Amino acid sequence: MRKITWPALLALLLAFGLVLAACTSGGATTESPAATDEPAVDEPAVDEPAVDEPATDEPAAEQPVAEGDRKIATFIWTQEFDTLSPLYTAMWFTTTTYQLWNVWAWHFDENSNPIPVLVTEIPSEENGGISEDGRTLTFNLRDDLIWSDGTPLTSADFVFTYEMTVDPANTVGTTYPYDQIETIEAPDPQTVVVTFTEPFAPWLAWMWRYILPEHVLRPVFDEAGSLDDAEWNFAPTVGIGPYRFEEWESGSFARFVRNENWHGERPIIDEIFFRFVPDDASQVAALQNGEGDLGTFIAYSDVPALENAGIDIVTQPSGYNEGWYFILGDEQIPGHPALQDVRVRQAIAMALDREGLNQDLLLGLTKVPKTLWDSLPAYVSPDIEPFAYDPDAANALLDEAGWVDTNGDGVRDKDGVELVLVHGTTTREVRQDSQAVAQQQLAEVGIQLDIQSFDSSIFFEDYANSGPPYTGELDIAQWSDAPAFPDPDHYYWLCDQIPTDEAPAGGNFSRICDEELDALFRQQLSQTNVADRQQTFHQITQIMHDQVYWLGMWEDPDVWAVGPRLLNARFSGVTPLFSIAEWDISE
Amino acid sequence: MGRYIIRRVLQAIPLLFFISIVLFFLMGQLGDPVATMGGRRVTRPSDRERLTRQLGLDQPFYKQYLYWLVGNDWTTIDMDGDGIGDTNGTRRGIVRGDFGMSLMKRGQTAWDVIWDRVPNTLLLMVTAEIVIIIFALLIGIFSALRQYTAADHMITAVSFVGFSTPIFFFALLSIYIFSVNFKRWGLPSLPAVGMFDPQVGKTPGQVALHMVLPVFTIAFVSIAAYSRYIRSTMLEVLNQDYIRTAKAKGLHGRQVLLVHALKNASLPIVTLIGLDLALLLGGALVTERIFAWPGMGRLFLDHMQRFDTPVVMGILVILSISVVVFQIITDLTYALLDPRIRYD
Repeated sequence: MRKITWPALLALLLAFGLVLAACTSGGATTESPAATDEPAVDEPAVDEPAVDEPATDEPAAEQPVAEGDRKIATFIWTQEFDTLSPLYTAMWFTTTTYQLWNVWAWHFDENSNPIPVLVTEIPSEENGGISEDGRTLTFNLRDDLIWSDGTPLTSADFVFTYEMTVDPANTVGTTYPYDQIETIEAPDPQTVVVTFTEPFAPWLAWMWRYILPEHVLRPVFDEAGSLDDAEWNFAPTVGIGPYRFEEWESGSFARFVRNENWHGERPIIDEIFFRFVPDDASQVAALQNGEGDLGTFIAYSDVPALENAGIDIVTQPSGYNEGWYFILGDEQIPGHPALQDVRVRQAIAMALDREGLNQDLLLGLTKVPKTLWDSLPAYVSPDIEPFAYDPDAANALLDEAGWVDTNGDGVRDKDGVELVLVHGTTTREVRQDSQAVAQQQLAEVGIQLDIQSFDSSIFFEDYANSGPPYTGELDIAQWSDAPAFPDPDHYYWLCDQIPTDEAPAGGNFSRICDEELDALFRQQLSQTNVADRQQTFHQITQIMHDQVYWLGMWEDPDVWAVGPRLLNARFSGVTPLFSIAEWDISE
Repeated sequence: MGRYIIRRVLQAIPLLFFISIVLFFLMGQLGDPVATMGGRRVTRPSDRERLTRQLGLDQPFYKQYLYWLVGNDWTTIDMDGDGIGDTNGTRRGIVRGDFGMSLMKRGQTAWDVIWDRVPNTLLLMVTAEIVIIIFALLIGIFSALRQYTAADHMITAVSFVGFSTPIFFFALLSIYIFSVNFKRWGLPSLPAVGMFDPQVGKTPGQVALHMVLPVFTIAFVSIAAYSRYIRSTMLEVLNQDYIRTAKAKGLHGRQVLLVHALKNASLPIVTLIGLDLALLLGGALVTERIFAWPGMGRLFLDHMQRFDTPVVMGILVILSISVVVFQIITDLTYALLDPRIRYD
């Protein structure tokens, strides 16, 4: 018998490995079109400047699996889903896919206006959907809702969703806002009536962000006693949306194909292919060479290179704003004495050239936010006059506050205390750059800024785990955060959120307890009348601005890179892919 | 020989046990997996408190380790927060083959999460290793035979470039040259990321095409190191008396080189390869990340960032076992290559 040589054996092994790798998942499937004529979104497509360039020359197919001219769009996701079950994740890269296969009861458009998807209309006081006392909401469901496997979706699925979210047998990511509900009823298959313990204003932003298919998951729960280990969590074969889940290969890709049972507008693209590319530089390269049609979380420094390659950059406000939180402290954890004086905080605001910083570090693609609520302009007081860059005025204010340089060391002082502030943020590059700029600018008005940066896993630890913003080691903390967007609620600022050793769970790391602000934040939570709530927020934003409890550095919108093949792409800051059914891909 | 293997395996057990305690302790110090469960927002304090309790992360270190090691199916967990255990544990512990449930990929066992990546990792790493060994041998032997020639000097220079290039730089450079710029210049370009083009499907041809750049990257840096090593061991052997004797006997040059020289020079090389093979399962952290190759290295990084103890510990335990096994195999290979070595 002929002896097999080593090279031949190795070649054989390699070929076997390739076949094995290729066989671990099936190729693309073919869909037969079936028209449904009910548009979910009734707005015309807007004029995104998409370039009609022909498809790029991908390597030739050896064995084409796809038949016909299937339209496939490739989205680059820099993080892989952790799980697909909405019960167990709040990860942006997962929840953003829900507009494809597990829609919210209503989506939000690019202006953050709600669009009914599963309900016939958004409940309001006028249409009787909100009770007079603001505690009871009535949701009327469409009568043509069908899960992707053909089973009708009814109010029972809504009730089941609530039950599974609050059942302690499930280790869900968050029980909010369902833990605020007193009763939930389904008087008929198309009606859901929810009564809260108190009037609950943020319902529009937080209710029904997912619906669970009872006919699939109830048997699992009954048998296992929990949904924690359900196969649906990572293979949600039944959902509701313009697309349905097809497959997810760990670390590599996930595919969603057109759902022919979708009641809304029939999607134009046949298949959405998510490719997980964790490295930012590789994402940019993949967009440049046409391996991806859509990218997200683009670094500002990469924008010129992408635009040169014909890629459109779209920024969409998502409620997030980068800013400085002044940590004032209290008796338990005292803050720096200078920060207790509002004039010092105002002087800091005027000593920083934040417009210049936006131009230099963020290429002028962002603006300086006046308040934490700038993405929700209706809630921002129209009377706010932003602090302009004025080092002379800053110097004058600091002198007036009694902080002067008595010992000639270049740093202001008062009663023997030097005006040295500790500023902390995460290790993100643009943050560290902005720290250095701020340090230089504050030095010019006699304030020494000691800068520190932390790994985000350490920086965002809570009080019990000695997160740096909580311990008193920082005077100023910088990061990007949002209100409960598109709802304006923001819970950090309540007095009872100040953590103590006895009650360490609070999130008020600044330890600011402004009684007027506290009362207004409590008041707005129960104001289900939008106009009333906006008035309350005008007062809140005015106080927050005048007191400089928070100082905006730059708006932090979602940054999307749209490849030249992708057409009609519009984004929302809340439900980013809300108009996915209208998107098209040029050949 | 059999007794030797059994003795080595028995010796490894306390070692693995000790390693697992140290690693588990270090994992616990790294961070809180619940902290990142709020997505872009900080996890709500009430959710954080509840999840910490439900996932058993509020337990002292020794208990968490014990549950990971032998399971918790003999005790109860307080799921509803009333301070009394109400739900029976279901974990059987790693000694009974249960790696635990992933804290990040909810609903999947750590074993499934890891096992999903093994074929991809082995495909990339074994291919790269084969390329490395073949080219390193060819280049190493060539430069040993042509010592101090112009070719040898050139190979030495290129080797030092390979040696001193950080792998991430080389990876990105290769993407920008062969993928982005080749495309821009209208030349046939190579794909930069992933395992296949969705328009074509996951065919062996596509996978092979997508492997070119990552394999090239891993191989380039390692070939530089290996070939230098082979060159020096070959030079040492080629100057031995028995090589002169072999030549004097009139043996063919190739026979002298491959049978007499290479076999004797390969002993230290086998040690090097043995160590490498054990770590192949671990994948290539940087290369897999840059080329978006769904291997074990990326899995490790992703789950490390989310402090997913069951998966990270699972990977580390598998790697530890793999190192022990390949050490034994390497020792046994010595005996095959050098008849003077006996283990009985």
